Amino acid sequence: MKARGAILLLLAMTSMTAQVRLPEFTREQLPNGATLILLPRHDVPLISVRAVFRGGAEAEPAGLNGISAVTVELMRRGAGKRTAEQIDLDLDFLGATIQSGANRNAAFFALEFLSRTAPEAMSILGDILARPTFPEEEVRKVLARTADQVRAAKDNPAMAIGRYFNGAFFPAGHPYRHSGAPDESSVSRMNREEILKHFRRMATGKNLIFIAAGDFDPQQFAPLARRILTEIPAGETLPAAQPPALRFPQPRLLLVDKPDATQTYFRIGMPGIDRRHPDRIALLVVNTLFGGRFTSMLNDALRVNAGLTYGANSLLDQDRLPGAIAINSYTPTATTVQAIDLALEVLQRLLREGISQDQLDSARAYIKGNFPTERLETADQLCALLADLELNGLDRSDVDTFFQKLDALTAAQVNAVLRRHFTADNLQFCLVGNASAIRGQVGKYAKAMKEISVKDAGFSAPDF
Amino acid sequence: MRRILAVLWLAPFAMSAQMVKVSEHTLSNGMKILIHEDHDVPNVALYLFFKIGSRNERPGATGISHFFEHMMFNGAKKYGPKQFDIQMEKAGGRNNAYTTRDVTVYTDWFPRTALELMFDMEADRIRDLSFDPKIVESERGVVSSERRTSVENNPFGLLYEQFFATAYIAHPYQWPVIGWASDIQSWTIEDLKAHYRMGYAPNNCVVVVSGDVRPGEVLALAKKYFEPIPRQEPPPPVRTVEPPQLGERRVNVHRPANLPILLVGFHIGSARDPDYPVYEVMDTILAGGRSSRLHQRLVEKEQLVLNVGGGINPSLDPGQFLFSFQIRSGRQPAEVEKSLYEELERLARDPVPPEELQKVKNQILAEFYRQLKTIAGKANLLGSYEVFFGSWNEINAAPAKIEKVTADDVRRVAAKIFSPRNRTVATLIPEQREEVAK
Repeated sequence: MKARGAILLLLAMTSMTAQVRLPEFTREQLPNGATLILLPRHDVPLISVRAVFRGGAEAEPAGLNGISAVTVELMRRGAGKRTAEQIDLDLDFLGATIQSGANRNAAFFALEFLSRTAPEAMSILGDILARPTFPEEEVRKVLARTADQVRAAKDNPAMAIGRYFNGAFFPAGHPYRHSGAPDESSVSRMNREEILKHFRRMATGKNLIFIAAGDFDPQQFAPLARRILTEIPAGETLPAAQPPALRFPQPRLLLVDKPDATQTYFRIGMPGIDRRHPDRIALLVVNTLFGGRFTSMLNDALRVNAGLTYGANSLLDQDRLPGAIAINSYTPTATTVQAIDLALEVLQRLLREGISQDQLDSARAYIKGNFPTERLETADQLCALLADLELNGLDRSDVDTFFQKLDALTAAQVNAVLRRHFTADNLQFCLVGNASAIRGQVGKYAKAMKEISVKDAGFSAPDF
Repeated sequence: MRRILAVLWLAPFAMSAQMVKVSEHTLSNGMKILIHEDHDVPNVALYLFFKIGSRNERPGATGISHFFEHMMFNGAKKYGPKQFDIQMEKAGGRNNAYTTRDVTVYTDWFPRTALELMFDMEADRIRDLSFDPKIVESERGVVSSERRTSVENNPFGLLYEQFFATAYIAHPYQWPVIGWASDIQSWTIEDLKAHYRMGYAPNNCVVVVSGDVRPGEVLALAKKYFEPIPRQEPPPPVRTVEPPQLGERRVNVHRPANLPILLVGFHIGSARDPDYPVYEVMDTILAGGRSSRLHQRLVEKEQLVLNVGGGINPSLDPGQFLFSFQIRSGRQPAEVEKSLYEELERLARDPVPPEELQKVKNQILAEFYRQLKTIAGKANLLGSYEVFFGSWNEINAAPAKIEKVTADDVRRVAAKIFSPRNRTVATLIPEQREEVAK
């Protein structure tokens, strides 16, 4: 059933070792500064569209963290002549789905619809992007709901640990400290005026990247896209944040008390890289081996050999600004120290022994074997990949030379990169768990230790 | 009117364009092989559906199917401990597995170059799994941790478990798939061996291969690696039939939390119930998308809940029509119940307007279509249809069955199932942390 799409991608990927290539796409700059990217791909009769506004957490005013996410949610709650309810009804009637959200570097809408419904779906999206009305009642509703969502997140430590870690790792004033998400205090400061102001700064042509991939004829679809995009005012480009480099002169530990927790959730971080860093591909290899797959060193030690956890992994941030490299796991309260000690031992072993040629070969095969189904299989994956390139000022060569660069890496090069970035010194710890049971034992990891409660507002300690 | 136009395009398209083609074979040992070609990416999804789940367990050894799912990665005769994962990842592949009340499913994703390796490794563990006592103990710790994360430290998971323990008094759907904590601590190697013999017979398995393959090569590999595995007795039939519920059942769970949670469920039929397509339509009317009745009323208008979840899942034995709500701060579960029951009564009383019915059918068909976007999605759907609906080919019949559902069907079935007598209600009541300390 996918005969046509088959030809296109099969030409691009004939065997495991061959280089993958992004399918052909067009890119144009519209008069208002918006970037329009079209990638026709006729395998299933669906079209995916991603409208991305540069900015995200990086462009949020101080004290209003999460306002980008709230703004895009509200943009779909009343636009043009449509009420919130009408938009929901119209989209559902077409069988279309829409998602909106914001992250560290952007706010976005992801829409997917059947190709035959393109005129209808694009007209709804046009209203959302250019003519949101921000009804007072919807603003009130969304803000109240957002406050409750923050409360609900704190009931589930597996969800909350990521936000607490960012709050501990990134210093005050750093745009990534709040994870691009609202908290109790920022929600309380938001109102229609602030949201409207943010919308006018953010939702401009100069900030907009508009990507469509899927079953369309560019001759017919491009005019449709141009028509809705040109209605967006050019505005100004949001200034990019330029926080000072991440430096940690000493180990620190943030302990978050959740008295009813029966496990401790922990994350241990060190300074990492940004998306454009020349060491990125070598670090992908190291991260795959250290904690990026099931047989990784961390999962093997903590889960497979010791049975201390259901999962242990490592995370490598790849955003516009440098982020973290972090160890991430959880374990019963009673084995907290045992599990953290073991994770640190694994880190020491990685630093001491480096990686072997066999490990390099295995990681390379793993990354290459998974890339097609993770990034290139569907139209929405292609939209996300193109947005990632565009937001980070990269072009198709990032994908088109990816396998070649992986193949060219030697074990010596990877080990040099490993030792340049990985460290066991001055680690930054964040633990969520039953503090009364563990606080006496975890002090050994860092003299600089702070304790807060899940009942406290926010996800960080003010002076930490 | 533009909405009526939309109706005209969508339905015929959905029925004609999405025919899924499968090459179907049964090996001499009874193992069924389904092969679907898709050459979009040079990768393959290999899914093995074993028809064994927590419904085949007994008290004292609950959760053993799920535990066994873990053990299948811990070494066999040819490929020893850790080798399944090591060899697979080295060949560029990745895997996972899931267990439900009805099935245990092993999911492999890999580049086509690893096809033969995967057949060899799957055959090895289906036929010759090892049971090293040390590994069993270590894996017990892993599963306990999984339980702590998904149940004890997850308020939804905790309430969900209590809900099923209340809704079923006789049938094995009453216990959690992950098993009761005490059972996880106590099953023996003998229990595991007995479970292996019972569940992992080739004649109890459906294999789905979807992706960059040719049916001939797959069949040859299946004959070489899977066909020599001897046929065995499949699991004995589950004899217990859940007796009709005679009155509402309620369970309260008190625990520290910021917000209350409410689960409300009603007994319905199995996946083979002729009314199953009607359940799907009802599910979407009530909770499918933001324009659905419950979302509009409870989330948007009355602002009683953060979200509406739940719905239906195909099951081998009669299942539940479930609704789940994270309740807003300052609101009471009773308020949510009242509005929910009014909506259910309305569904049983007033015919669904034709436009709304068409909207819902469009949503179901589009959603169904989305599941066919990836080779993994297709493998999962084909196997699920084969196991739950009797044939993979039911996929191609499904759109027409949804189209046939009428407003009268919805009214009739809603009146039948949404009665207070047939209802189970589970509520998570937040308690102050100070109280816990006492």
